[in-house]
Amino acid sequence: MATLKLDKHFDPDRCRHYVNNNLTVLHCHHYATLFTQLALDAQDLVNGTKLLYETSEDIFYKALTDYYKDNGVTDQAEKTELAKEMFSSFGLGKIEAGTLDEKGGSLEMPVAYLDQGWLQKWGKYNSPVNFIGAGYIAAMFSAVFDKPVRSYKVEEQESKVTGASKTVLQVTV
Amino acid sequence: MAIDRSKVIEQMSKVSVEANPDGLIPAFNVLINAFPADFWNTFTYKMVDAVNEDIKDAVEELFVNAAHECGYHTGYGIITSKEWDAIVKPMVENTEDVLHGAYAVFTAWGWGKAEIAELTPGEKMVVRVEDYYESDIKDHFSGAKADRMMAYMIRGVSGAFMDLAYGGDYDPAGESGLYTFECEQTKGIETGDSYGEFVVKKRNDA
Repeated sequence: MATLKLDKHFDPDRCRHYVNNNLTVLHCHHYATLFTQLALDAQDLVNGTKLLYETSEDIFYKALTDYYKDNGVTDQAEKTELAKEMFSSFGLGKIEAGTLDEKGGSLEMPVAYLDQGWLQKWGKYNSPVNFIGAGYIAAMFSAVFDKPVRSYKVEEQESKVTGASKTVLQVTV
Repeated sequence: MAIDRSKVIEQMSKVSVEANPDGLIPAFNVLINAFPADFWNTFTYKMVDAVNEDIKDAVEELFVNAAHECGYHTGYGIITSKEWDAIVKPMVENTEDVLHGAYAVFTAWGWGKAEIAELTPGEKMVVRVEDYYESDIKDHFSGAKADRMMAYMIRGVSGAFMDLAYGGDYDPAGESGLYTFECEQTKGIETGDSYGEFVVKKRNDA
């Protein structure tokens, strides 16, 4: 089974960092959680959480599919394992696969970056906040099963930010 | 100024941040993420585009505030880190050097090629930035030119850097010091200028 290869390089002329040809920047949990809060606070004006989820889905779908293509990865089991590793490489936490097939499934995150950052910054919240992580999972299913984005819907059934021991996400077509 | 900017950029750009077995990247007293830059630009573009004209300014300020708070806490984490102590601190002679060093680290992190153009200690700072990743937001607009200046992250971080330099002792709760200064963007690559320009001054109510 292949392991994730991260080709990191810094362009000294443009002073930009690239990981596997993706322009990459570092930010902190304050930034990520405040973006999430902004999305939540804007719900009366615009569906901010949907925009955040879909942005995540689109961006990470491209990262995954580009990686599979550039590295000749076609086996679904291998694509799944690489997607889990890539999730962690972004600092998003840890995915443990529960059930996963072309019709959907259930995944667990024993560690979820957005929840961890939110808890550290503000403590518990009464509803899910991991729209970025959920968008990644939607991207992952589409990329693994060769479907376009928006093929899957991801909903958090349990969330660490509300006090659960782990985050559980349900994926449906 | 005693900061060797090229040396700081060269050495700080090599600092590696890797995920731990939990898939988290704890560094500089914060939890780091390493997303594609277009993640931040795409969401920013979508949110500003989605809201009505009369509240775009308010949404923009939320993005600036997110960066201001991030810059305050992460900035403090950086200037008290072992990497800073090893590479930058030996060059620092005064508070102004800390600011110059901070912008060299800002550049090393890939946020943009940023340098202080003018500094009145405790009062005003002008920063010029070339090739900042936020300027790539222009590619989301027809004609590859934004209809407004959108380097909210640089605005927020610049305000935060002045807070850390001249806003009093660092407050982890962010209840004092943070938001002593505010930053306005006066030029933008995304709107057609050759560089971004950011002017930081004390807030009127500070």
